[in-house]
Amino acid sequence: MRRRPLLTALCALAYLFMLGPILLVVAVAFSGGDTIHFPPEGLSLKWFGKALSQHSFTSALGTSVLVATGATLLALLVGVPLALAVQRGRLPGRRVIEALCLSPIVVPELVVGLALYQQLMVGLRVTALGTLMIGHAVLLIPYAVRVTGASLAMADPMLEEAARGLGAGPVTAFFRVTLPVLAPGILSAGLLSFITSFNNVPLSLLLTGPGTTTLPVEMLHYVEFSFDPVVAAVSTLLLALTVAVAVVTERLIGFNKVFGR
Amino acid sequence: MSRRSAGLLLVPGIALLAFGFVFPVCAMLLAPPEGDAAGVAGRLGGMLTDGYVLSIALRTVRIGLITMLASLLLGFPVAYAISRAPARRAGVLLALSTFPLLLSTVVRTYSWLVILGRNGLLSGVLTGLGITAHPPQLLYTETAIVLGLVQLFTPLMILSCYGSLSQVDSRLEEAARGLGASSGRAFRLVVLPMALPGVAVGSTLVFAGAVTAFTTPMLLGGTRQRTLATLLYDYASVSLDWTSASAVAVFMTMIVLAVGVLTGRVGASRLGARRARKVPPATAGAAGEGAV
Amino acid sequence: MVNPVELDGVTREFGGVTAVQDLDLTVPEGKFTALLGPSGCGKTTTLRMIAGYLAPTRGRILLDGAEATRLPPERRNLGMVFQSYALFPHLTVAKNVAFGLRMRKAGREETRRRVGEALELVGLSHLAERRPRELSGGQQQRVALARAIVIRPSVLLLDEPLSNLDARLRVQMRQELLNVQRETGVTAVLVTHDQDEALELADLMVILRDGRLEQLGHPRDVFPAPASRFVAEFLGYENFLTVPGHGPVTIRPEYVRVLAAGEEPPGGTLLSGTAARVTYRGTDCLVAVRAGDQTVLGTTAAEIRPGDEVRVLLPGDRLIHLPENAPVPATAGDTR
Ligand SMILES: Nc1ncnc2c1ncn2[C@@H]1O[C@H](COP(=O)(O)OP(=O)(O)OP(=O)(O)O)[C@@H](O)[C@H]1O
Ligand SMILES: [Mg+2]
Repeated sequence: MRRRPLLTALCALAYLFMLGPILLVVAVAFSGGDTIHFPPEGLSLKWFGKALSQHSFTSALGTSVLVATGATLLALLVGVPLALAVQRGRLPGRRVIEALCLSPIVVPELVVGLALYQQLMVGLRVTALGTLMIGHAVLLIPYAVRVTGASLAMADPMLEEAARGLGAGPVTAFFRVTLPVLAPGILSAGLLSFITSFNNVPLSLLLTGPGTTTLPVEMLHYVEFSFDPVVAAVSTLLLALTVAVAVVTERLIGFNKVFGR
Repeated sequence: MSRRSAGLLLVPGIALLAFGFVFPVCAMLLAPPEGDAAGVAGRLGGMLTDGYVLSIALRTVRIGLITMLASLLLGFPVAYAISRAPARRAGVLLALSTFPLLLSTVVRTYSWLVILGRNGLLSGVLTGLGITAHPPQLLYTETAIVLGLVQLFTPLMILSCYGSLSQVDSRLEEAARGLGASSGRAFRLVVLPMALPGVAVGSTLVFAGAVTAFTTPMLLGGTRQRTLATLLYDYASVSLDWTSASAVAVFMTMIVLAVGVLTGRVGASRLGARRARKVPPATAGAAGEGAV
Repeated sequence: MVNPVELDGVTREFGGVTAVQDLDLTVPEGKFTALLGPSGCGKTTTLRMIAGYLAPTRGRILLDGAEATRLPPERRNLGMVFQSYALFPHLTVAKNVAFGLRMRKAGREETRRRVGEALELVGLSHLAERRPRELSGGQQQRVALARAIVIRPSVLLLDEPLSNLDARLRVQMRQELLNVQRETGVTAVLVTHDQDEALELADLMVILRDGRLEQLGHPRDVFPAPASRFVAEFLGYENFLTVPGHGPVTIRPEYVRVLAAGEEPPGGTLLSGTAARVTYRGTDCLVAVRAGDQTVLGTTAAEIRPGDEVRVLLPGDRLIHLPENAPVPATAGDTR
């Protein structure tokens, strides 16, 4: 390939802009000072200690994991059948159903959050945890339907017929052939969904109640009122976790297969 | 699969969407607590003539547009470079630009506090070099919000542009050059037109994401530089004015929908309806899209 | 004797389109039957109705003499080989082949033995632990065949099984397919649009046209006696002529002799005309002759150039009379 210095420089700038600031957070997390200061004043691990011992963070982490897990499972549980019906069902009005499945993407999440807060939490007295799970699941359905649908579209529809011809009933054919063939797609959708839910702020923002706050929302509120680097430490821990997930994903399935396209 | 069993498979999903999405969103507009649909419409009408709200709406749209342009300027060259790089390097570059999308927006926005804060990197550099005497006010400005949003959304733009650039066979460019086009003209006449669908999709996603973003304007704009999203939050959780919150929600949704329809139209007329329609589902699935 | 498959007035419509119309067909036991016809004539539709993936709009299907029109595919005990092979990508070759046995709850020992035998039959014993995507097209095709026959189906159904292979391999696989059928004695129904494939493999050739039966019989009976211009064209006849004293006839170019000026004609019908095009073919030349308002294709060993005045000899015993526009409703011929 020919060298293109201008292109290379532009790319370097873009990557610096996207990734550079994140590294600064890591530096601040190891700071010994009491405020966000760059360059950091001294070196210490005290903010990590504080992050891990602060109850509001640990309990928010618990809530986030619970919500992300529940919502992901719920979204897959209803989303995979949706994708199956849309792709293989020869249903009338298939486009309308597809559009409905994807519609939660179109409405701003903050707006959905507001609606859920007013109607479910205040109106129907659903608990904060329940509303969070329902809201997140709704948000994830488009991912589940789309990613599963894509791998379904790639799979040979004759596979099910072949299984039937060999003596498998419709249910057996689904569990023995269709589901295993879709498994990588479903796994991708699940991973993507979990991360999306875990990181979500705008939808969760209005749905948190006493004792039920998600980690990103808790971090946000903390930063609003206090300027010490404890959130930098939490961020660094999350970064490490995300890198770990990325590395494991790369080893098992391929990073770009799951997250890129 | 018979139609009946296909219909049965739809039931749980449709039920969840109806209960968790369609019903609350519609009900919010028709009957917000302590109000009614007419109230929301009236409040919305009032806002459209209210200088304060209008200036916030204007700022929000301005931020959205600048963010969109800036992330296009940063992201397109990267997408192009990835599409022309050898497979291995392309894989690494692609992963590097996808990775930030997996990271919480709070974490990514927090990094700008480190750069722009009172004792942050930039203020240190500026005072250290004697350019300014006192730490300058960098946070809680529109620029700060734009910087944060561009960092947030450039990966999304890269992935969208890459989606259509990767479809452009590099041999097409070579063929154009073989026919006598300079590399600049080959790019303009061959690559750019074929990349347009991805650019359109990416721009729409980024604009919509920036206009509805909450975390970044909250942390980097604060109460001084409100956007529609932070205004909505204020109404909903500080002043508990549901009617106004719903009105802002409608306002925000309308802006996003209008832009979506607009780029859809432009894309369809410019590129032939078929191609434009095919692109969004394929490229709109990036990790964490819009979840800000 | 009970016939493995009988179609009785079977019709299938898709919306307004009739894909198969009023088809009566009896598939003879232990024989190779080929459904032949141009694209869109309803071959796949017929096969899928036999397999149970499609229900006929009207008519009945009998399997081994028993009513099976509405029987779901998993209860028909047929072996199907798909054009795309449809191998299960998540299973090894051995597990693909074992799938049907598992569904039949065959014992572990028996499964292992029968899978081994089937793989041996198609010559793939050494690849048992591979995944389908690690196999070549020809190997995948053999796995598909092994998977279909291992369940000892009452009928083996094959939908254009060789069409994804390159030309050489296709010819080679034809023989293997025939060997497997002869060795197992299984009744086979093959769908193809390749007349060479049908001629080589079939004991009974069934020619379809627009969803209807056009002609059927053993290739040795059908090939020399096409019942209509449609069948003749499909079997590669190229001359469609009106010959004085004979009416509409067809004849293969290799039986038409083109005589140079001065060559002595043996007995037969003679037409005279001008050589329009001469194509060298190695052993002989193919000559297109303009005779009046007809063009005749024939062969010659003599030196002929375009523009030469020539005569064309049509041996009477090679002329096949074609009924004009009225396809002869064929009845089951003998299948030797
Ligand atoms: N699912 C369907 N819906 C509507 N029309 C169909 C369907 N399946 C087949 N047809 C129509 O029925 C006719 C016969 O189709 P069929 O697939 O049986 O042809 P074929 O002989 O197998 O052709 P080919 O050699 O191209 O495979 C065609 O006109 C086709 O368009
Ligand atoms: Mg077919």
